[in-house]
Amino acid sequence: MTERAEATLIGIAAAIAGLGVGIVTYTAGDGITIDALAAFATQFAAFTGLFIAIRRWAPSATRLLLAPVSLIAAIAAIEVFRIDPDLGRLQRWWLLLGAAIAMAVLFLLRHRGLEVLRRFRYLFLAVALGLLLLPLTPSGWPLGGATINGSRLWVRLQLGERSLSFQPGEAAKLLLVVFLASYLADTWRGLAEMPRSFGPLRLPEPRQLLPMLIAFGVSLMVLVYQRDLGASLLLFVLFMLMLFVATARPTYLVAGGVLAAGGALGAASAFDHVAMRVSAWLHPFADFTGSGYQVSQGLFALSASGVFGTGLGNGAPYLIPAAATDYIFVAVIEEMGLATGLAMLAAYALVIAVGFGIALRAADRFRSLLAAGLTITLAVQTLLIVGGVIRLLPLTGITLPFASYGGSSLLTNMTLVALLARVSHEERA
Amino acid sequence: MKQAMRPVAIALLALIGFSAVWLTGIQANAGSDYRDDPRNVRVARAPADTARGNIVTADGVVVAEDDPDGGRRYPEGSRYAHIVGYDASAGRTGVELTRYAAMQTRDDGSITSWILGLLGADLGPPDVHLTIVDEVQQAAEAALGSKTGAVVAIDPRTGAVLAYSSSPAFDPNDVVDGSFDPEDEGSVDEVIDRAADRLLPPGSTFKVIVTAAALEAGLTPDTTFDDATEYAPPGGVAIHNAGGGDCITGSTLTLTDALVVSCNVVFSRLAVDLGAGAVVGAAEDAWFNHRFAWETSAAESSLPSAADLAADIPALAQSGIGERDVRATPLLMAMIAAALGNDGVAMAPYVVSDIVAPDGEAIESTEPAVLGRMFPSAVVDDLLAMMEAVVDQGTGRPGGVSGVRVAGKTGTAEGAGGPHAWFIAVAPVEDPTIAVAVLVEGGGAGGSVAAPIAARVIAAWLAFDS
Repeated sequence: MTERAEATLIGIAAAIAGLGVGIVTYTAGDGITIDALAAFATQFAAFTGLFIAIRRWAPSATRLLLAPVSLIAAIAAIEVFRIDPDLGRLQRWWLLLGAAIAMAVLFLLRHRGLEVLRRFRYLFLAVALGLLLLPLTPSGWPLGGATINGSRLWVRLQLGERSLSFQPGEAAKLLLVVFLASYLADTWRGLAEMPRSFGPLRLPEPRQLLPMLIAFGVSLMVLVYQRDLGASLLLFVLFMLMLFVATARPTYLVAGGVLAAGGALGAASAFDHVAMRVSAWLHPFADFTGSGYQVSQGLFALSASGVFGTGLGNGAPYLIPAAATDYIFVAVIEEMGLATGLAMLAAYALVIAVGFGIALRAADRFRSLLAAGLTITLAVQTLLIVGGVIRLLPLTGITLPFASYGGSSLLTNMTLVALLARVSHEERA
Repeated sequence: MKQAMRPVAIALLALIGFSAVWLTGIQANAGSDYRDDPRNVRVARAPADTARGNIVTADGVVVAEDDPDGGRRYPEGSRYAHIVGYDASAGRTGVELTRYAAMQTRDDGSITSWILGLLGADLGPPDVHLTIVDEVQQAAEAALGSKTGAVVAIDPRTGAVLAYSSSPAFDPNDVVDGSFDPEDEGSVDEVIDRAADRLLPPGSTFKVIVTAAALEAGLTPDTTFDDATEYAPPGGVAIHNAGGGDCITGSTLTLTDALVVSCNVVFSRLAVDLGAGAVVGAAEDAWFNHRFAWETSAAESSLPSAADLAADIPALAQSGIGERDVRATPLLMAMIAAALGNDGVAMAPYVVSDIVAPDGEAIESTEPAVLGRMFPSAVVDDLLAMMEAVVDQGTGRPGGVSGVRVAGKTGTAEGAGGPHAWFIAVAPVEDPTIAVAVLVEGGGAGGSVAAPIAARVIAAWLAFDS
């Protein structure tokens, strides 16, 4: 794809955002307001800015990444604004900030490239673990943890009268991927040796399983202390898949699967919040007014949509708890139809395919693992929340990349795109 | 490393693809279940005035349609009040209630309807086609006039209802605009469906059942009886004939004669002689004490059990002439007449023939179905011949239609506000195409009041049918 085509598609996505927001305000009886222009301008500025940054500081990068991402962001921005105009306006600032940070990352890496990241891997690990633990700080502190919707994932920064909440775990994911890519690129040989055998299964030295056990421990810690099933699952699957990709040893998949299954069964019986999620998944209507309410409302919304949706403003997506965040995918489908939902899935599939393409062609093992890790993060997160809201999997509270309302998520995922672009650029370096 | 990356990439992409399939499946399969869930408040919020199809008679008269200004309207006013009913803020009744969902657009937004639409199916709101013929219905309405009562006409061959009228009737348009409150106590007279929901003693029309029981017991139309002026059942008051004297001049009369002149003395005695088991058995064969499916609600016609009547001979004697605790609806009496016109077999009555899409394609059609055998085949010809004599020479003469062989039976049942006039008929006898039951409450003698109404309905049908 040429640069011109990519720029055109970004422009079209921005136009869709502006048009959609215009329709929302018009059908609400407010006429076409400045919001339509603002939605267009924000989308256009954010992605054109990133487009220009990539052209200047990562000129050899693939031209396939930004168009699908901007389409997802545009469609979701319309629906977030439709559910709550205030959130929609805030989301615009987050998008601009996310693009700015992504551009800054590209700028900082422009001379010395990704090699820089490799050097500071233990620093990244420490920061990542610190960020994961940050929400556990007492709520009274100026930078204190906060429990929102039953999960302690949030940190609230008190700035006098105002406070700013964010989820440090989102950023920790990226840092962990960088650390793992770097660590596995150096140690994969040892991890891939399988001197022992147990039946058909070849086993590494027991001490080589240590990293996986640590990963399992971190996941469990997130689950127990932060009560965040989604992040816990995401972290563990990410560790496991990266280990498998680095070593090409199915043993790790098997061992990881056993650990995950055991952990899941144990968690479902030990923790009420996990058991509740599972029963809401299997029998959402059994406890309609309680634990099954969100899943049931989501299913009602899906059944109301049809192929082309009820039309913007005609549905009732606000009936679903967390419609603008966890349930944004269902809200989009209710009003813009199954067709739009499938288009979004196609866009995600495109980003994931391009991500793996970058990983396969990357210049060295570190860069390849980095791209693979970033793409796996994106894919697993998308699958967990999409599968959850359509009742394919138990619902885990996790954001839909580029779509859900939320600053931490948007900032992190825009940075992820910048890093993927940089790996792509360094293919021929 | 790369050989491990490919399967991971393929697996993750396959899972995205599977999510897409799963999501599509939710829409295709479960859409309507979720939509119909009472806890789904989205349904309650949906606009109530979605477009609906028309209700059309067999001869193409639109009797219910959407009002362009919103709501429903009924071009024929009160003529179909009790069968088509109304759809108003006061609620829904009749076919408007029972076929409410069928008349809505089939485009529910699901993938299935989308594909059907692509394949060229017309998913617009379907029409409901009635079996009622407006010309016959008009005749029934006009013949009843201001009298209180009901007319039911049925095609004996299929069970299709040709006319269904109850008087007095309200105008459903008045319910829609709120000027008539069907819930009001003063509205009961107009609201009650006298065709299927009102139970009155059938009087002498019940003698058809007793005659059937007699023929089954081995008597013949020519069996003779004493022509007495009264019959005093053991332990009860004497039963007299309608005129007070004997039935015909002479010392004896045949069973046919007794039916022709509706001889109370003969039939009350006959009921006692045949026994409670035979009389109740014949009545229950004719669907007394049984329910049947009907578009709107239908009361169950009834008489006491054989054991109860066997223990109370005076009651059995009075039951033999359709009095005391015998109760019937005009709808069942029409079905009984229809069964006689169909070799004794009653067809299940129905009033909706088809649900038809706007492009003319029938989405759903009612297949005529057998309800059950009411009379043994062996007695049907004798009964019809006897009933034809009733119309030719007897009490049913006003029910005759010139040039047509009509078989019928009159009834004049005791009522608080004067006798209830009944007439049941089936015509033409050689190949019956219509059966009618007429009830005029407190109207007088069945022969002079009810029979002429039936004759007009039969004539209207035969004019339409030819």
